[in-house]
Amino acid sequence: MTPLLIAAGVLAAIGAAVATGARDARIAALGLAGMLAITPFVADPLPQPLSLAFGAAAGILAAFFMFSAARRLAEPLGPPLGPLAAIATAAAGFAVGLGATALSLPRGGPEAALAAGLAAVAVAVGPIAVTRDVFRLGTALIVLVGGASLVAEALAGTPDPLTGIAAGVALVVLAAAAGALAAGSVTATGGTAIPDDPLAGRATGSRSGAELR
Amino acid sequence: MSVLAFAAIALAGAVVATLVRGRRHAGTLVGFAAVIVALGSATVIRADDPLQLGGGALGGDAYLRLVLSLCLGGGLLVLIVARLATWPPSAPGVLLGGAAGIGLALGLAGAPAALLAAGAATGAAATLALASPAAPSRVRALMRELRGAATSTVIGVIAAAIVPATSGVGRVAEPAAASLVLVGMALVMAHRFGAIPLHARVSRLADVAPSAALPVLGAWLPAAWGLIIIGWAPSALGPYASGLGAERGLIVALALLTLLFGTLAALVQDEVEHVVAYTIVADAGLALLALAALDPAARDAARGWLLVFAATRTALIGWTIAFRAAFDTGRLRDTGGWLRRAPALGVALAGILVAAVGWPGLLAWDSRLAVLQSATAGPALLLGYAGSLGTGLAICRMLGVGAGRPSAAVAGAPGELPRLPARSEPGIGSAGTGGSVPAGGLATARAIMGRIRVRISVAGQDARPALELNRVPLRAFAVLMLAGLACLVAVGAFGIEAAARLPGLAALPPVAGG
Repeated sequence: MTPLLIAAGVLAAIGAAVATGARDARIAALGLAGMLAITPFVADPLPQPLSLAFGAAAGILAAFFMFSAARRLAEPLGPPLGPLAAIATAAAGFAVGLGATALSLPRGGPEAALAAGLAAVAVAVGPIAVTRDVFRLGTALIVLVGGASLVAEALAGTPDPLTGIAAGVALVVLAAAAGALAAGSVTATGGTAIPDDPLAGRATGSRSGAELR
Repeated sequence: MSVLAFAAIALAGAVVATLVRGRRHAGTLVGFAAVIVALGSATVIRADDPLQLGGGALGGDAYLRLVLSLCLGGGLLVLIVARLATWPPSAPGVLLGGAAGIGLALGLAGAPAALLAAGAATGAAATLALASPAAPSRVRALMRELRGAATSTVIGVIAAAIVPATSGVGRVAEPAAASLVLVGMALVMAHRFGAIPLHARVSRLADVAPSAALPVLGAWLPAAWGLIIIGWAPSALGPYASGLGAERGLIVALALLTLLFGTLAALVQDEVEHVVAYTIVADAGLALLALAALDPAARDAARGWLLVFAATRTALIGWTIAFRAAFDTGRLRDTGGWLRRAPALGVALAGILVAAVGWPGLLAWDSRLAVLQSATAGPALLLGYAGSLGTGLAICRMLGVGAGRPSAAVAGAPGELPRLPARSEPGIGSAGTGGSVPAGGLATARAIMGRIRVRISVAGQDARPALELNRVPLRAFAVLMLAGLACLVAVGAFGIEAAARLPGLAALPPVAGG
């Protein structure tokens, strides 16, 4: 466990906390960019240079999609956890990840990856479980996938380049989909708050409405 | 052709079809052309050595060729049915994008990469289907799909990563970790197929997604998730199978519950789309049983059965589109006696029934029974066997409704007999066709070309009203073709059984080391 790896892990965890806890949507997108750009570097051994560059570029592109969505939005609803609570949750997740290494958990990657991954997963769970805003949901889903790739790396070791490319593509697709979701929500409802479910509580739905076509 | 080339063609087609979807005629032409080109490229995917890419591998085999060909072939027929009913602007893009994602997911070596690709494909296809035109119900459905795809990917990737850590060289195997992995993968399977109690997703999707996009979203993408997980599980978790009795029992119990309650739900639904959705829910039980078996023989049987599942559900979705268009409603209580006005749809539904249930000796029957026998025994086998006939029961109920007294909606619906348009005015066609041919070679050729041009123009003018008049029989014909395709799959045509015995690239371990 080198100080550089720990520093990279801490930066990724802080990025995840900012992405899910910042009140301003654009700052949240910047936090996402920080987390996703640093994530490929939390590995031992480091991936091949091309794979490393692809992972960082994919992360920045994914964050750019969310930043573009954030610029077009009126201010979304606040995060379920405030900034301080998000940072505290990330710190707790990071500590649990580092502490797990003391239990000799079988793993093939660095402790810093497990710590940063658990921190990211910990801050993402809240906005996903209690969804009030589609922008916050999209950001949290991206943080969750990024965190999961860190945890998987800690357990199975540095992934082969093709798996790294697949992870990068999945992040970009998810970010594009989250951006489209936010844009669709603004068009349909004028905001990013989750709309009421018109079909909830009905025994059967009907496809005859013009909206469904 | 390699899988990569197929994926490039399908993705390019998806992009172009999505860009022009706002224009009715151009969107139709481009969408159909792109699907046909992608279908052609899928049929020539070679089963050769995997392409080595940066330490990983991407390759195709006969089974992948079958999956993609059936997905695109069935999807094309559903598109035709939908185009003859209403304009589904996003459906070609969904079909092409979904097929490209399925090709990449099933062609990648190693479960983590395959699961990531499947997650990306699910998210992309759901976005293409639901993001536009924007509506509150679609926003909620898309939100649900993205959340489900992302969490399934996360659980699957972490679960697949635990196995190398517990069984790698020089490490002590951890049965407790293996049980966690099995439960995690079962959760992913249950969510993707909509097993009870995670079934709401499938039903809501049937409500809001364009009907022509449902084969990909509701059948082929879940089947791809199932193929990845069922292909990976026997080799990764098989060595721990004896210590996983409680977990496997839990999954079998959930599967039996899903088979029975899914069948019951399908039998009480009134909307035909909901009936189909709950047959998908019911068959999630069989997919879970295939996972619980942790047996290579069950995996091979499940690979055959999943093709039957996806082909029959595609045919059923095509049938529901034609049914709703024929009677302007999808409610069974309003369409009593529908068989009298739509006998061809009845024949097609009977064909789908035969394909879904099968009989001893056919792939549909034998593979289903093999999956059941590998995971259950005694009373549980009997229960599972009864539940696995749920799709057939639901179809029999729809046929039974059709045999009753015709309702007002049915009596006023157009029949399925072809009709001819009224003859056009003779002056238009005869202007360029009559008269003697001028002398001279060049003049003769020009005259012949002119006549051909005029005849094509007249034929086009005649074809349009004929097409408008015959939408109902044309839809019925396309649904009959869908049912025929499902029957061919059910009897094991195209060499499905031999292809299903290959384990697939997802079963290979990921290459670690960077």
